[in-house]
Amino acid sequence: MLTKEELERYARQIILHGFGKAGQEKLKKAKVFLAGVGGLGSPAAIYLAVAGIGTLRIADHDKVELSNLNRQILQWQADIGKNKVKSAAEKLHSFNPNIKIETTSETINEKNVLKLVGDSDIIVDAMDNLPTRYILNRAAVEKKIPLFHGAVYGFEGRVMTVLPGKSACLNCLFHGVEMPAEKVPVIGVTPGIIGCIQATEVIKCITGQGELLTNRLLTYDGLQMKFNEFKINRDPHCEVCGDKRKR
Amino acid sequence: MSVNIEMSSFFGLYTNDTLSVDVEGKSVRECLHALVEKFPKLKRLLLDKNGNLQRNYDYFINGQSVYPKDMNQPLKNGDKFSLLYVIHGG
Repeated sequence: MLTKEELERYARQIILHGFGKAGQEKLKKAKVFLAGVGGLGSPAAIYLAVAGIGTLRIADHDKVELSNLNRQILQWQADIGKNKVKSAAEKLHSFNPNIKIETTSETINEKNVLKLVGDSDIIVDAMDNLPTRYILNRAAVEKKIPLFHGAVYGFEGRVMTVLPGKSACLNCLFHGVEMPAEKVPVIGVTPGIIGCIQATEVIKCITGQGELLTNRLLTYDGLQMKFNEFKINRDPHCEVCGDKRKR
Repeated sequence: MSVNIEMSSFFGLYTNDTLSVDVEGKSVRECLHALVEKFPKLKRLLLDKNGNLQRNYDYFINGQSVYPKDMNQPLKNGDKFSLLYVIHGG
């Protein structure tokens, strides 16, 4: 049930065609696990918070550093040295005091991922490395909950949505490829755009609107200012979601 | 046998900002080798010592993902070959 204050706060989205109070109530009931509250996670968290996601569970083990501030817009100069989840939670609470924000500074790994995700309905992959992305992908498949993938490099970004059992998973896309450790170059606007697309996908998924980015990799090239789309075929022999799945 | 290779801006540094190029070749291998012949700076980036595509690059043929990757996969006249770097930053 939406309060009088919530009806006013969300009035401009409640009047959206196909959204209504029912859509807003779905957002209010939703629990979203956000892995990473850096470049991608900051804009995703802000737009999920202001949209009225009921519970935002954010995980990040890092502390704020000066070199984060060109892109991690929930992290400010005064936050340097603080836990990222704490400083992010403070701002998110100011954006929208109605939502519940849970935080953990634990490093996501294979042993704790299911516990950290808990009873969340959705996982947002806003990580900065492939190994943790694979762990989140396995957790999403195991729990049969959607995963929203985003990644950036320089002026380029990628987005894909995974509905376990129905669409290609991250392993169908990457096939376990490993990348060398590198300091990824990035201009802040890129994760801004990609994180907002991830948040858009989450809102669409929860409210049951539109066409999700399933079996499709959306690529963004800011220098050419081009979006492109590639069809991702589900691998029937995928080790994570196919018949070679290790249980 | 002309195949159009399209690349994202990431590759511009190695191709003098040329991001779309037609090459002659009947397979993925022939087309990639024709590409590095046109842009030699790409060779060390893209190909391993056996002349195969490094695993941190991905490609799509006519907008579709391809798996398993096979350097000998035939390509036909007019195919579009899209080359991407696997990105993972957040």
